[in-house]
Amino acid sequence: MSAKTNIAELSALLEQSRAAIIDEWKRTVMDLVGHKYPGVLSMDELHRHADLKLAAFSAYFASCREGLVTVTKESPLGKMVYDLSSDHDTRGIKPVDTALYLVALKKAISHQLVCAFPDSQEQFVEFLELLHGLMDQLTILSFDAYATTREKVIAQQSQSLMELSTPVIVLWNNVLLLPLVGVIDTIRARQFTERMLEAITRHEGIVTIIDVTGVPVFDTGVARHIMKAVDAAQLLGSRVVMTGISPEGAQTLTKLGISFANVISRVSLRAGVAEALKLVGRRIESIAGAN
Amino acid sequence: MSVLHLSIRNESDISEAVRQSRAMAGRLGFSTTSAYYIATAASELAANLWIHAGGGMITLQRHGARGMELMTVDNGPGIADIDKALEEGFSTANGLGCGLPGVKRLMDELDIASYPGVRTEIKARKWL
Ligand SMILES: Nc1ncnc2c1ncn2[C@@H]1O[C@H](COP(=O)(O)OP(=O)(O)O)[C@@H](O)[C@H]1O
Ligand SMILES: [Mg+2]
Repeated sequence: MSAKTNIAELSALLEQSRAAIIDEWKRTVMDLVGHKYPGVLSMDELHRHADLKLAAFSAYFASCREGLVTVTKESPLGKMVYDLSSDHDTRGIKPVDTALYLVALKKAISHQLVCAFPDSQEQFVEFLELLHGLMDQLTILSFDAYATTREKVIAQQSQSLMELSTPVIVLWNNVLLLPLVGVIDTIRARQFTERMLEAITRHEGIVTIIDVTGVPVFDTGVARHIMKAVDAAQLLGSRVVMTGISPEGAQTLTKLGISFANVISRVSLRAGVAEALKLVGRRIESIAGAN
Repeated sequence: MSVLHLSIRNESDISEAVRQSRAMAGRLGFSTTSAYYIATAASELAANLWIHAGGGMITLQRHGARGMELMTVDNGPGIADIDKALEEGFSTANGLGCGLPGVKRLMDELDIASYPGVRTEIKARKWL
């Protein structure tokens, strides 16, 4: 018997046992995972899902000529699995449970195949092989879908984090403050430098305070990024005051043999602000009579 | 836990090595300053794996009763002249060239073994 006949017959069998498959699958899923997500998974919804899935199976089988074709994520069936996984992810359904979903479907179909026992044992084995071949592809796709959704979330988060972490504060006329917080990698260093130069140009920054209190360690990579930023700032005519180097940071820089030429360094942000104001001819004073 | 293997493939793996080595140094009883030195040394070695070797492994571990060791292994191009690499300001990649000499000063012991094109192994130790 050819693969094509087998596929056609398997497809017909699925059609025939559709109601029974859906019924068994719904019950299994509810038993296994339903209780973990009260109010999230309903029997009605599961019914709809199963119905759509089985319809997509039929359409898929109809498209197979000589054997199973690869299910890509662009094909209707692949897209369905993909959407299911990302939908589950956004609703807080864990990937293991989504996998259970598919495993339960495989079980329900196998079980119904046994019930509607086909003509020969040989054909039955072929049916199971076809079914497993298809379901395994779907499981792999759902894994991929989950990873893709996660990667998207991570990329978005690091983007937001990046925007969050490079503020430019105009402290006074011509005095800018840029706190550096967190790990300074190549991308963040570039972004920091761009923002700083743009701010110096826009606000005619005469003094730029870079506060490094929030930088976890000062290695030669970070130092090099900061040196480049400082050089560029100086080319635009801004003095740079660096604040917030910890005692350990200072000792480490010494051991690394690094010193920041042309940079005025102050222990605290307070001292740095005072220095910056002095450079633009201002100072902070108490109001006469106040204490 | 006193042994940790970290694979360095991306730039973001470097900061993981920094975090972990600093935490381990703290657990082993190093002072804040020494832990900062160890973390910086780990950062330099891991950055070198990423920049010069196309990736590699860094192992952080307790060494004997009173020490900590950072070990990197990679299968990159290797270091042809180790003395030169330890010279202040020597860099083949337009870096500051302060990393390896810095590690030597931040840590108490530094061993470099390199078989160019095959394997490079660097061990840096610090005692409590
Ligand atoms: N793991 C490594 N594999 C190959 N070459 C290395 C490795 N580590 C260091 N080097 C070589 O040693 C040189 C000095 O390293 P380093 O002092 O860290 O300076 P930098 O990283 O700024 O170049 C590097 O430029 C490079 O040629
Ligand atoms: Mg280096």
